[in-house]
Amino acid sequence: MSEIDRRRFMQGAGALGLSASLGALMPGVAHGALRKDVPDIIRKQVPSTGEAIPAVGLGSWITFNVGNDMALRDQCADVVSAFFNAGGRMIDSSPMYGSAQEVIGYCLDKLGAHDRVFSTDKVWTSGDGLDQISETRKRWNTRKFDLLQVHNLLGINDNLPLLFRLKNEGQLRYVGVTTSHGRRTEDLIAVMKNERLDFVQVTYNPVDRKVEEYLLPLAYDRGIAVIVNRPFRGGSLLDQLEGEPLPEFAAELEVESWAQLILKYLIAHPSVTCPIPATTNPAHAAENMRAATGRLPDDKMREQIAAVIGVLI
Amino acid sequence: MTEWWDYGLADFLLFSPRVYYRLFETMNSVWWMAVLAAFVAGLVAAGMAMRHGHRGNRVILVLLSLIWAWASYGFVWQYYQPINWAVAYILPGFVIEVLLLLVFAARPLPLRFGWRGDLTSYVGAAIMVVAIVIYPFVGLLEGRDLIQAELFGSAADPTALGTLGFVLMARGTWRWLLLPVPLIWCAFAAATLWVMDQQIAYVMLIAVWLTIFSGWLDLKNGVTTRRLTKAELADPPPISD
Repeated sequence: MSEIDRRRFMQGAGALGLSASLGALMPGVAHGALRKDVPDIIRKQVPSTGEAIPAVGLGSWITFNVGNDMALRDQCADVVSAFFNAGGRMIDSSPMYGSAQEVIGYCLDKLGAHDRVFSTDKVWTSGDGLDQISETRKRWNTRKFDLLQVHNLLGINDNLPLLFRLKNEGQLRYVGVTTSHGRRTEDLIAVMKNERLDFVQVTYNPVDRKVEEYLLPLAYDRGIAVIVNRPFRGGSLLDQLEGEPLPEFAAELEVESWAQLILKYLIAHPSVTCPIPATTNPAHAAENMRAATGRLPDDKMREQIAAVIGVLI
Repeated sequence: MTEWWDYGLADFLLFSPRVYYRLFETMNSVWWMAVLAAFVAGLVAAGMAMRHGHRGNRVILVLLSLIWAWASYGFVWQYYQPINWAVAYILPGFVIEVLLLLVFAARPLPLRFGWRGDLTSYVGAAIMVVAIVIYPFVGLLEGRDLIQAELFGSAADPTALGTLGFVLMARGTWRWLLLPVPLIWCAFAAATLWVMDQQIAYVMLIAVWLTIFSGWLDLKNGVTTRRLTKAELADPPPISD
């Protein structure tokens, strides 16, 4: 791949099908009930199909691993309910995340929301991938995933062909790979160059920006959708920013919080399809989704956001 | 491209402290009679182990075996394993510990517990006191509710910790066989608590280090390798100091 001028692909935002709406979002309807009407929010296209999906998703790392604790499972269901009511669709998990898959299945069953979710999970084994996927289906109580990814490229030589086979057989809609914390970049680049991936998942936030140099331009060039994990560095970024006033220019973006400012920073990147913040708080789930409304920062403002946060932490 | 060593310790922290401490709250609420019984059994065993020359050595070993069996099933399997899949790989070690304790209890010459007045006794007694009396209530200092107390006999961390103390208080050949499982668990627990930012991790690490050091001292002084006689078991010598 040739080096892509950063300015050029920042200008490509429109080509990715941003459709911002200023429509007011109701705060998530708490405690269970799903609204039938879905708020109009920013959606971004999956390059390989053109399907538009909401520009903010929901992660489940740590937050949904609550075991058999029914009170905490119900709290997770409230989070999912608030997420859906605010227009969200993509929920991401992994066999690595303890009971998170089972808990997501519980939430979807409880809310009757299997038709609302864009189901995203992973295969994470150097053993029998098909066996693990079968177990994952049971835990989610679903027959077909929208997206399965090879988690941290583990066992990719076996698992990636398996996912492509499932896709060809119509048992899966999209295939992807994931990394986090900037690991295994060289391997990831090789896979992105040599395979027809639909999605790639990487760590990206205003502090961890290494992916901007090569990976995001490559994804753009290859028509690969990008899911962003650790948008808040596992929450530590927001902890560090707590109590700090938002910069004045944030008012132009109609943001209420640092979380929304960071999410807007991410969504505005033309390569980014969907950051997946995790939370245990229904109000935060709704707040995160509201980042996918209103105006997005331009290139200059994104630099300002990164600079301000870089100074504050 | 299947490198597992690509992961760091923090990658395997799968749950939040909130969820972790809720495990004890739920277990203590649902199984309160079993939790209380196991705690009392631990107290009784500790009291017997501290008394010099007590002849209930087999009782102590059986009580510890029952405690490990309950902690394995009641806490580790029922509550902890659902949020931490790594535990499933350690659980066979718990079963081995249960069986080993029973084997030691059934031996013609079981271990002999008792205060010896040497450094190992001090370390063993201190670890037992920390595990049974102090550890469960440290959470109160950190603002957690009493219902979330990690009690010896049910919660795995204080049970493994206390077992180190019991073994150090014992005398007899092959007693070191009882150490690897609680040592491994304490190291595992210390790593978990460390990544959860819990200061109690230091207690686990210090206990591991002191146990290994005391075990080495005993080995050097011949305490570990010397076979007990029937006479010693029946009529223990007076305290030398």
